[in-house]
Amino acid sequence: MMAESKFKILANGILKQNPTFIQVLGMCPTLATTTSAENGLGMGLATTAVLALSNITISLVRKFIPDKIRIPSYIVIIASFVTVIDMLMHGFIYDLWKTLGLFIPLIVVNCIILGRAEAFASKNNVFSSFLDGLGMGLGFTASLVLLGSVREFLGNGSIFSYHLSDVKMFAMILPPGAFMALGMLAAFFNYLGIRRSKAKKAEK
Amino acid sequence: MRDYFKTGITLMVITIIAALVLSVVYTIVEEPIANAELGAKLKAIREVLTDSDSGELLIDEESIPKTATELAKFEWFPEGFSASEGIIYNAESNQGKVESPAYKFVKEDGTEIFIAIGIAVGYGGDVKSMAAFVKEPDGIKLNGIKVLEYSQETPGLGANIANADVQKRFYPITKEGLDEGIKVDKDAGVTPVGDQIDVRKREDGIATVSDVMTGATITPRAVAFSLNAISEFLEKAGVR
Repeated sequence: MMAESKFKILANGILKQNPTFIQVLGMCPTLATTTSAENGLGMGLATTAVLALSNITISLVRKFIPDKIRIPSYIVIIASFVTVIDMLMHGFIYDLWKTLGLFIPLIVVNCIILGRAEAFASKNNVFSSFLDGLGMGLGFTASLVLLGSVREFLGNGSIFSYHLSDVKMFAMILPPGAFMALGMLAAFFNYLGIRRSKAKKAEK
Repeated sequence: MRDYFKTGITLMVITIIAALVLSVVYTIVEEPIANAELGAKLKAIREVLTDSDSGELLIDEESIPKTATELAKFEWFPEGFSASEGIIYNAESNQGKVESPAYKFVKEDGTEIFIAIGIAVGYGGDVKSMAAFVKEPDGIKLNGIKVLEYSQETPGLGANIANADVQKRFYPITKEGLDEGIKVDKDAGVTPVGDQIDVRKREDGIATVSDVMTGATITPRAVAFSLNAISEFLEKAGVR
């Protein structure tokens, strides 16, 4: 029973409460970084690391922080983790750091992180908060990779720089392409969700 | 009253801990960051010191700098120039700058090679390119370039300048081409195809990028401006 509920927390972020397609959170980095699958993956993993770490920390200190200064305290914690990740990437994985460039500092303003701190980590124990952060992070990563793959394929004819076709619609790499691809994918996932809930109703 | 104190102290403790953690991490990564930056620069120097036609190194393997101290030996400050805020030369057109220091290498046969980093404004910020110019008997030629900084350019568009295939469209360029000034094909008003891409590049300084970087004009233009700035700097320094 216990293990099952923990698994539910983890899976919740990946599927049922997917940050990008269902909760529609963190749109700024989602639209800006998904010009290619690789950028999406890098951004997603960096966000996952920050999300899991900040969730753990916030869950640890949740009882000491007065209600009034909750948000500023969370922001300080999140910004510190982002700076740490940025410095570590700069020092140890220079090439990836160079590719992701200005997107890393943007993680601070990603509302998924503050959202999970507020909605989950501030009310639950450390392990559950870690699982929630990990699940949401992986869900975010999966969405970014999917969106990045679609845009890279349509815009550049490749996925993860692996050449697949010669049809190139540059608009898909530009900002309008981000909105179009996101809109279509969100519509598709919502359609699946609605169809499933209808089927469940019919069963009853 | 007690409430205010508690709130203030809690915030203070959180910020102090955050500052402490950040300073510890910074102390740890300071050296790796400096090494990574230096490593990238040394790698670029090695690349531009490779002959663009034969693929062989222009100077001995042992002479290529491998540490910061070794690199410092090759620093070059021509007479009449002084560096301010890390910039040694501003192009007359105001469209490019040259970073200080520039470097000078000498081949076994006495041929001089000049390496400098040019800066010009791209789509989102500065684009930095390193370039090596070789002083041959019949004039100076551009041997190779390496775009170092392009992190503010649009991924999938301007950031494609990182591809070696795109950068190859900018070198080698002969003395005649440098005299004409380096420009991208769109600004030159021509679209060379096939063998003409190489010929027009060498002789007329035209970098054909429209086929390999469709949709992005500003970034390659910034590279052209920065290379022209270096070329102009060498001319003023009496090298060209």
